[in-house]
Amino acid sequence: MTYTFKLGNKTFKVDFEEKEGLSLISIDGEQKEMEFLRIDENIYSILVNNESITVGIFREGKKIQVFHGGDLHEIEVVSGRDASQAEGTGGLNITAPMHSRIVKILKKQGDRVEVGDSVVVVEAMKMESELKVSASGTIKEIKIKEGDTVEKDSVLVALSDSE
Amino acid sequence: MFKKILIANRGEIAVRIIRACRELGIATVAVYSDADRNALHVMLADEAYHIGPSKPSESYLVGEKIVAVAKESGAEAIHPGFGFLSENDSFAEMCQKEGVVFIGPSPEAIRLMGDKVTARKIARDAGIPLVPGSEGAVSDVEASRVAKKIGYPVMIKASAGGGGKGMRLVNSKEEFEPSLRMARSEAFSSFGDDSVFIEKFIQQPRHVEIQVLGDKHGNLLHLFERECSIQRRHQKVIEEAPSGFINAKTRKSMCEVALRIAKAVDYFGAGTVEFIMDQKENFYFLEMNTRVQVEHPVTEMITGIDIVKWMIRIASGEKLPFKQSAIKMRGHALECRVYAEDPATNFLPSPGTLQYVRAPGGPGVRDDSSVYSGCEITSFYDPMLSKLVVWGDSREDAVDRMFSALREYVVLGVRTNLGFLIRMMQNSEFRKAQIDTGFIERHPELLVPEQSDPELILMAAAVAMNGGSNKTAQGTSGTSSGWKLFARRAGVSGNPLL
Repeated sequence: MTYTFKLGNKTFKVDFEEKEGLSLISIDGEQKEMEFLRIDENIYSILVNNESITVGIFREGKKIQVFHGGDLHEIEVVSGRDASQAEGTGGLNITAPMHSRIVKILKKQGDRVEVGDSVVVVEAMKMESELKVSASGTIKEIKIKEGDTVEKDSVLVALSDSE
Repeated sequence: MFKKILIANRGEIAVRIIRACRELGIATVAVYSDADRNALHVMLADEAYHIGPSKPSESYLVGEKIVAVAKESGAEAIHPGFGFLSENDSFAEMCQKEGVVFIGPSPEAIRLMGDKVTARKIARDAGIPLVPGSEGAVSDVEASRVAKKIGYPVMIKASAGGGGKGMRLVNSKEEFEPSLRMARSEAFSSFGDDSVFIEKFIQQPRHVEIQVLGDKHGNLLHLFERECSIQRRHQKVIEEAPSGFINAKTRKSMCEVALRIAKAVDYFGAGTVEFIMDQKENFYFLEMNTRVQVEHPVTEMITGIDIVKWMIRIASGEKLPFKQSAIKMRGHALECRVYAEDPATNFLPSPGTLQYVRAPGGPGVRDDSSVYSGCEITSFYDPMLSKLVVWGDSREDAVDRMFSALREYVVLGVRTNLGFLIRMMQNSEFRKAQIDTGFIERHPELLVPEQSDPELILMAAAVAMNGGSNKTAQGTSGTSSGWKLFARRAGVSGNPLL
């Protein structure tokens, strides 16, 4: 079985094959033998060359969370599809990081913004945070007004690349 | 002693207080909002009463509802925990009027110390050093005048504040106006009061505080210091006792000063006198918190004194049976607050379902938590999941133990600061106790995972796609492991151990 995984902004081809109680795994061509055991719903013990590794795994549809060494890694299963299709989906917009309230809108439609400029002040969990743009561009549309309550991941401000 | 106590709080502190009550043979009454029906404190308490919608202003902050539950359930006392109503003098007074004991100091002591301006005045009158700043709340015009006079950097602080809300550090004249606006607006939404005061910002300050404990018979003791210099967004993340920095002479003088302040307001119960300290061990009074502190466990670990139990005993009228000279420090304790938040995005909270939680164990490890696999972290409340506390013979031992314990923690479903905490324990400056409140800002490299070899992560992803096991272990077959079935039958998977 060959999987295509996306980790961060990189994609990897992973071959996985079972053979006499061992799994052969090859990542971008390099092959290794491993053994794994599901300890409970989310905990797996993996042995690679007698190195014992415990990881937490949670899978929901095409998303896999892998917890190791205190950090949570998120992997997208791109498997089967052309890996390039998964790249670059509207990264210019400002979205709500969580359920929050709009305190202040600092820019207006048509404004030119540079990387790091604050556009919206939101309040969640009694804390105010400024949402900044991660790319330079022009404010195409402001989809919210001050006082609005917004859900996680909803698009607040649409940007267009001015180039 | 009381027979029944109401706990007017939620989360791990409610659990902590319920545990103390259970050990003392006191029945417990929990209160809960809509969002907390499935919370651990509800399950651990003997009785539980619904007090309203999830918004704190409609449930945990409504004193009348809580006092009504106390009367209905026959609870003789209310423990407010921290946050919510814990430092609300009107609530303490309401309890008094209704004949319910408020487990904390007198309403008067809360009022005097709760208003930062009055507290500063009391400290000044008692001859205690203060950070230069405005004499009380200021108008916008006055604020910028004071800032100019004492010189940048300055701090803007909410008069009614606490926990970092409504607080802003301003480095230059240009930043002053927008910061003032944000501080006022945050102060208003958190405390319903937008008054602020201005203070000189101490360069590379350390936060050191003294725990005090007084009874209603005039006995007042200190339980040494805690250092809480590792902060983000002006909120503590890692705390320890004793401080890895101060010498015995400074400790003695700080403890004396703390007792002097507590005495000035006839303090009883548990309280904390907070100081800001510069790199030469000069210390200045910051504020007094008239409640149990989040980080109280580190003091319990080094003194062997159960602060929460003593709060209850004191409220019931018991005398402190030990003298100051009998209280000794032993070893070193560290606390890490485990939050559902993402250090990589300026510690933004990361609410959601905790798909899985496994807490560490072992000698000298204490996990004060209120979460379990399957529970929900909502955006209504503070996203703290747990306080991981360790004890060691020395600071070095404690740090090593914390490093080990943190690596055993597993949390799936939401982002946490665990990776950040692990990297903190490896940081050479932290290990040498070279810390101050600006530490995290100076070390952005600790916020993101090291760009490690993705091999293991990808291997785990492949394993996730293949379910159970490739090895037929004892009692294990296919995708449903024997362990999983056993766990379900025994009720240990996804259920808190009650």
